[in-house]
Amino acid sequence: MPSPPTPVSKSPRRKVSKVRSPKVSSSRRKNTLPPTVNNSASADELDALWNQISSALKVELGEGVYDRWFSTLSLASVDSREIVLLIPNSIYQVWIESNYAAQVQAALMTIFGGERKLSFRIENAVARPEQLATPVQSEVLQAPVEPAEVVGPKGFNPHYTFDTFVVGTNSEFAHAASLAVAKSPSRTYNPLFIHGGVGLGKTHLLQAIGHHLVASRKGSKVAYVRSETFTNEFIHAIQTNSLVKFRRRYRQADILLIDDIQFLAGKERSQEEFFHTFNSLFEGRKQIVLSSDQPPSEISQLEKRLVSRFEWGLTAELQPPDIETRLAILRKKAAGLDVTLPSHVLDYLAQRVKSNVRRLEGALLRVASFSSLSGRPLTDESIEHVLRDILQEEAKRAVSVDQVQRKVAEHYDIRLADMTSKRRQASIAFPRQVAMFISRRLTKNSLQDIGEAFGGKDHGTVIHACKKVKSRMEKEESLRQVVRFLEASLQR
Amino acid sequence: MKFTITQDAFAEGLQNAVSAVNPRSTLPILSNVLLQAVDNEVILTATDLDFTVRTKAPAKIGKAGSTTLPARRLSTLVKDLAKSDIEVEVDAKSVATLRSGAGIYKIFGLPEAEFPGLPAFEGAVEFTLKASDLKDGLRKTHYAISLDETRYVLNGILFSFKGDKLTLVATDGRRLALAEVNDLEIPASQERDFIVRTKAVTELMRSLSDDAEVVIRLSQNMVQFDCGSTTLISKLVEGNYPNYAQVIPNKVNERVTVEREVLLSAVRRVSLLNTEKTGSVRLNFSKGKIEIKSNTPEVGEAHEELAVSYKGENISVAFNPDFLMAPLRYLQEDEVHFELIDDISPGVIKINAPFVYVLMPMRVGA
Repeated sequence: MPSPPTPVSKSPRRKVSKVRSPKVSSSRRKNTLPPTVNNSASADELDALWNQISSALKVELGEGVYDRWFSTLSLASVDSREIVLLIPNSIYQVWIESNYAAQVQAALMTIFGGERKLSFRIENAVARPEQLATPVQSEVLQAPVEPAEVVGPKGFNPHYTFDTFVVGTNSEFAHAASLAVAKSPSRTYNPLFIHGGVGLGKTHLLQAIGHHLVASRKGSKVAYVRSETFTNEFIHAIQTNSLVKFRRRYRQADILLIDDIQFLAGKERSQEEFFHTFNSLFEGRKQIVLSSDQPPSEISQLEKRLVSRFEWGLTAELQPPDIETRLAILRKKAAGLDVTLPSHVLDYLAQRVKSNVRRLEGALLRVASFSSLSGRPLTDESIEHVLRDILQEEAKRAVSVDQVQRKVAEHYDIRLADMTSKRRQASIAFPRQVAMFISRRLTKNSLQDIGEAFGGKDHGTVIHACKKVKSRMEKEESLRQVVRFLEASLQR
Repeated sequence: MKFTITQDAFAEGLQNAVSAVNPRSTLPILSNVLLQAVDNEVILTATDLDFTVRTKAPAKIGKAGSTTLPARRLSTLVKDLAKSDIEVEVDAKSVATLRSGAGIYKIFGLPEAEFPGLPAFEGAVEFTLKASDLKDGLRKTHYAISLDETRYVLNGILFSFKGDKLTLVATDGRRLALAEVNDLEIPASQERDFIVRTKAVTELMRSLSDDAEVVIRLSQNMVQFDCGSTTLISKLVEGNYPNYAQVIPNKVNERVTVEREVLLSAVRRVSLLNTEKTGSVRLNFSKGKIEIKSNTPEVGEAHEELAVSYKGENISVAFNPDFLMAPLRYLQEDEVHFELIDDISPGVIKINAPFVYVLMPMRVGA
């Protein structure tokens, strides 16, 4: 992914925080007591605030209840949306939430002039091991240091959530499936298999599911891993004789999210291990989500029994976004970066960078930082210059009529020569028409040029072919699928 | 496989087994019950992978063997058959033929090999106690289990084996029930706390027979209850049960003894005039009596009085009537002791046995 030019004084990246820090506007609040304490408040400030809150609580609850349930508590943090109380153990949360929530809010109302979300943290609850006792370093392999429960949030990109995912017709199915899985894991689609080309959002969706579950289901064990890591850890576990620990890590997960499963191709032992992991989780009715660059049946050198298991649930494809979606992605990203670019620039980017979202976002970043550095208005030429390598990449993907002819001929099992011949048999003429249709769609060539490329055919012939194929596509699902498949494989 | 079995035994066995079948199972084999004919009994096993029931029914075995058959359908069918003996024969293709009287029924099953194996409990920690004691303890606590699925740790009963007793605790945040089974011997190395799911508790209460022992075996995340002819295996609720001791008030201001049935029926009658779920009943404790009152706008008022020997301060507390009646309904003692602190503190119900019920008051507007 292209990185912004190095000497950047204020990298736009820094603003790419999706954690919306609430904008505090104290004028809206009735009370003037200190609600501006933020997370980095000193212990003294928190203590003072807690004293105030305690007085109010005593009024609402009475001394007896206060003494029993609140006198041993303290404030962990406060901001304009939430107040976090530090509690000795979990019973406090259960009892306060069930019995005293209203009174607590009433007390907070007198202090802050508004309600706050009440959250709890257990003292010394960092018993969740942040680090394994002895992270084993190996020179050759990456050491798997993550402990069983915390594989989730630590490996996650905080930007990859459902909120930041721009849905378009290219991704609405995969997105809907992922959301359904995140809301009710193992009760909807299991396994869920998401595939799509590079940079189209597979990792984003997988991690979004993970984020959602970690946030919504406490104690849920979310395991996210790239299959390369899985393989490396497996090899390492064999070498260090710690297979039991390895298996525990994955087979005790409540949900396993595994990215780029195509990397298992050709690795027999890893596939075998993954087969058993899969079964163990599936039989335990745990959710499994996989991603790959190909649909299961097209991953080469993948054991049949794995292919069939991957196909047991739902397979969803992420396709390259259409122009409207590309524009939406650009707008959302630009807003997130707090960057304003003239709409003609966004249009230009959306039109020229088509193949994948990662490249699109990279292009945006580059253009944005160039714009802020140079201070000059952006012209088409300057953008072209800034993005020349990206645009070159895009151009390479431009399809030629020759490529189309080859692909279609291969699919319909006719000779390449038949594409340009005058033979009228339906078994040859129809594929020729399909090839013309696809050429019209995927290449920038004129009707005349296309006609020429098909053995000196008239441009009218090409028009007729396109019409015929189009109307047949409207009636025949199978033809639609074939065309879609051919176009996709040409554009890969 | 071939065996003959009485309709009673078969129906009962199937009834027990079916409780473990999840109607929404994704794997077809899980909708089936495993039948194993061996020696002189048929073992029926059903599971949804989280909960398994294994029960035995006496039978005359002609030819040993095993198969799996659709659980619900078989159970419904057998229940409806005449009360005579049923002949069951299963061929190599897992097709079962049932003969009862003049009726012949053929049911297609699935081979036994597909049925999931039962988890092993070798070397597991083991506890043995009287089934009647455990059943009694569960009866005294199960109604307080939380139904709130977001608080999954509370969706079950805490079993705490420590010292010389088993403590059972259930709570939903508004009330807590605790019962003990005493006179056990638990070596320090065997002390354990674990949480048994609601479903397992319900089935366990049904399966525990009064005159036997129950053996509880614990593995890392599963528990097995061996009740003799029926064995239940359940996945435990993961997590640590909250520190329940904090909930039990450590001071008492007033105490009064009441006849349980009388109190129960009075509260029940008074609460009949409540409409919404948020309705409450108010208990007024004063010299020599307890008044039980409810007042629902547009519906009506109720007022009852019980004579008791109470000499303490006047205390008036409102409670959720269902939460108040639940322990009274499941206890069997003639008398219960009510412990109070003040108008806004929880009430505690005790009996002359190790049992505590803490009930939070409702704040009803003056």
